[in-house]
Amino acid sequence: MKSYLTLVNRYLTAQKKKTWLVIVGTAIAVALVTGVFSMLDVFLQFEKLQVIHDYGNYHLAVKDASDKEISYIKSRIDVQNSGSWKDLGYGTINGLDCKLGALDQAFAGNMNIKVIQGKHPTAENEIMLEKWATESLYLNSSIGDSIRITFPDSTQREFIVSGIYNDIGNMKAAGVPGVFLSTAGADRLTSIKSNLYLVEFKKRVNINKAVEEIKTVLNITDDRIGLNNRLLAVIGQSRHNAAIGLYATGAVLFCIVLTAGVVMIYNTFNISVMERVRQFGLLRCIGASQSQIRKLVRREGVAITLRAIPLGIAAGIMMTFACSALLKYFNNTIFGEIPLFTISFIGIAGGVITGLLTVFIASFLPARKAAQVPPVNAVTGSKDFKISKVRKYSFLTKVLRVEAAMGVNNAVMKKRTFVLMSCSIAISITMFLGFNVFVDFMHTSLKTTKPYTPDISLASEQGIDHQVHFSLQAIGGVKRVYGRMFSYVDAAFDASRLSDTYKESMKGIAVKDNGLFVPTEKSWLISYDASQLNWAKADLIAGEISEDEINANNGVIAVAQQLRRNISTETANLKLGDKIYINTPAGVEELTVMGILRSVPFNSKELTLTTFITTEEIFTNLTDESVFKAIDIQLKKKNDEQAVNAIKGLVNDTISFRDMRQKNSEINQTFLTMAVFVYGFVGVIALISILNIINTMNTSIASKTRYLGIMRAVGMSGDQLNKMVLTEAAAYNLAGCLAGCVLGIALQKLLITNYLSSFHIVWKFPLYQIILILIITLLVTVLSVISPLKRIRARGISEVVNAL
Amino acid sequence: MEILKAEELSKTYGRGETKVEALKKVSFSVSKGEFISIVGPSGSGKSTLLNLLGALDTPTSGKVFLNGRDVFTMQEKELAVLRRRNIGFIFQAYNLVPELNIEENIVLPLLLDYKKPEQHYIDELLDMLGLTERKYHLPNQLSGGQQQRVAIGRALASKPAIILADEPTGNLDSKNSREVIDLMRLSVEKYKQTLIMITHDQNYASFADRVFQVEDGIVTELGGGRR
Repeated sequence: MKSYLTLVNRYLTAQKKKTWLVIVGTAIAVALVTGVFSMLDVFLQFEKLQVIHDYGNYHLAVKDASDKEISYIKSRIDVQNSGSWKDLGYGTINGLDCKLGALDQAFAGNMNIKVIQGKHPTAENEIMLEKWATESLYLNSSIGDSIRITFPDSTQREFIVSGIYNDIGNMKAAGVPGVFLSTAGADRLTSIKSNLYLVEFKKRVNINKAVEEIKTVLNITDDRIGLNNRLLAVIGQSRHNAAIGLYATGAVLFCIVLTAGVVMIYNTFNISVMERVRQFGLLRCIGASQSQIRKLVRREGVAITLRAIPLGIAAGIMMTFACSALLKYFNNTIFGEIPLFTISFIGIAGGVITGLLTVFIASFLPARKAAQVPPVNAVTGSKDFKISKVRKYSFLTKVLRVEAAMGVNNAVMKKRTFVLMSCSIAISITMFLGFNVFVDFMHTSLKTTKPYTPDISLASEQGIDHQVHFSLQAIGGVKRVYGRMFSYVDAAFDASRLSDTYKESMKGIAVKDNGLFVPTEKSWLISYDASQLNWAKADLIAGEISEDEINANNGVIAVAQQLRRNISTETANLKLGDKIYINTPAGVEELTVMGILRSVPFNSKELTLTTFITTEEIFTNLTDESVFKAIDIQLKKKNDEQAVNAIKGLVNDTISFRDMRQKNSEINQTFLTMAVFVYGFVGVIALISILNIINTMNTSIASKTRYLGIMRAVGMSGDQLNKMVLTEAAAYNLAGCLAGCVLGIALQKLLITNYLSSFHIVWKFPLYQIILILIITLLVTVLSVISPLKRIRARGISEVVNAL
Repeated sequence: MEILKAEELSKTYGRGETKVEALKKVSFSVSKGEFISIVGPSGSGKSTLLNLLGALDTPTSGKVFLNGRDVFTMQEKELAVLRRRNIGFIFQAYNLVPELNIEENIVLPLLLDYKKPEQHYIDELLDMLGLTERKYHLPNQLSGGQQQRVAIGRALASKPAIILADEPTGNLDSKNSREVIDLMRLSVEKYKQTLIMITHDQNYASFADRVFQVEDGIVTELGGGRR
């Protein structure tokens, strides 16, 4: 032994169990910081690719750029790539509706347009088609074929197919193929709808500054400038309000993560130092100065950090790895360029800095306390803490049994420990509730496929008869077939139910003597089969949905929100039991509102007053129609091409075949990318919080080994011991839980109302979350004390009591 | 030569109804090389007195002079240095550092003083204490008597002027007690140290040059023992 500081290593090796607990406690906190920060870092990398895949890889779009402007932008040193994108509007190609456009070959990759056969159109009479549209069902054409396009201005021209490019989910689902002309060909057209010049800047360019510069140099007005805000948002360069709100939310939450890391480490250290008050006193007796004690404690802190930080960082990287692996497993085409093991320097630096800094602070303060221990404490022994509130204790023993009273007392007496323990738990809970805001954000801002989302949709103006429906059902790989009949009917009801906004927008509505209004617009009547009625229950805001009941009572289901001119509005405020009068070929029929839905998942082509849903039976009675306007099909296996071909075989000229699968999987993919990380964050935080509580309880009990031994020596039974420790743990947890819930709810409300209101997220009292937290905390409390108590009870009393 | 002097030393614990006067205006002085034993019933204030003399605790009023310096006007830093260089403590409960082996426990005060232990002196100590063969053992591998001998070794390591012992034989049987007392006497004579020892045993008290009796916080000198 060369120096008194060797004592540190001796202590750490001798007290393996306690040292391990402190290391784990510190590692947990480091893992939290590293994990969350690396996940954020990697999440942004993934999300960037996702946004590029969904919206295109461009930052700036300049409308109607002149040749001079284009050549200036192109020559800028900070521009990576640029190209023009012309929207030529809708036209028809060999009689099929299509969307026309033109795109610079150089920029096609940025917009996720990849030629898979042939070449990008260059000559004036060349075009490029989407792959699916070349199939026999649609255009039945291949490279070199001649094809006739009718432009929006009704001019017609012949083109030659020069290339075929990848399927675009949205276009495929709508059944409207995208057709690209060459830029030279587009220049000859007069009917250009919009002409954008798209710019991708180089990495690490200050885009906002560059855009400002371009605007001033070229004297471009704001209305000619468009930004890809989503892409800017994920690379941290957006100045859009919504993005700033998100940044602020993120900043607040990540500050809380840092604080949580600090509090956790501090708490662990505080416990570990405070239990050794006596030993420090002893060292003082034999001549250790205060600064030497401080040095000892600090050295111990460093020794522990050096072991804990690598552990914590490894754990943090593993969490990130799990998220990356999951996403790469689901979609390696988009995320191929992200390595499986992404090492995030931000995350690791965050973990290391928090670890070191906190241990420095956390060992500095307890070290000061330890140094201030009067040496006499070592000699006299049990003066480790002062008992100040004697009265409370006697009050407690009156209310509670003695072991419970002692448990509460033990927790409350050591105020500092109590505050720290509760804080450590409270901050975990606050963090959990805070991060749940992202879950709300995700659900309101992104869609997923619903149980009713079809894989294939057939639509027909003329109608599809029931025979087709049966044939579809008979196909092997088909899981479910459900059709809808549509009709536009004159429907009247009590005029007082019409909303004021609707009456205003219609500039007055005539009302008859019996209180019914005279409808000026048709209403949309839709038929649902049993499974669709069943799915609609998820959107039900009043009443009940039952096919038999509706049939028996001549019922309809009203829909509260109508999409009118792309704006969701409430035209009428119908109540359950309201009577609806519909004009039918056989006269006026009276129907009863039996349920109210929030909205329906599809839109009417015509402008309608409102929407009613009813059963197929009533629909046919009312309208005499029995052909489906739309039939949706779900497949057993999404990629069962045999079944798809069988369906195609049933389609004739009047029916349009819409393959929704790619769009659906893209929607799910977009959601999944965010969900993996959002749930990853919440999961990691929950896990860390639970581990933290368990470890803290373990440490706290381990530090009281001697005290518990004495209790047993004076006659406390094993059960009483359990109860005492459990009440103590419960006191910490309950206080932490309460404080955490209050703070967490306040935080949620603050974040949502201040920063996320632009996403239309409404703050609701998180009842389920709170219940979940309470249950988990209780379970964890019990779990956390079981094993340390077992260990203590397994040891001999004298052995425990004589431990210094 | 006067090495230690107590002046009107008082110590009061608590206040109001729970007020306990552990020491009441105690004054005496001790010369270099003297062996003082302190006797008295438990709770009389013996330990309080010893703790005050060793500057482990602060008095309510009064002064302690060590080598003519007023101990309680010193900074905490100076006090630590004072303790580690001039005072050796021996406790009833040994109070060894459980993680360190015997030799390390003994040299700890020297290390705290940033001094390189004189190996030859430490070996001599270990030999005198009969612990040479046990020097790499941990305290919990030793008997009570052996542990107390380690504590004595630790107290002697920095060759302090004064050794304060609080019932060093309190936990030991008569054979071990005898050995410990003999050892302490031997070392005090050999290194010309001053020894102040609390004891319950009148027998051991009689070895002392002077015997102080503490009762209800008041110290009375019972006169010389053996000499």
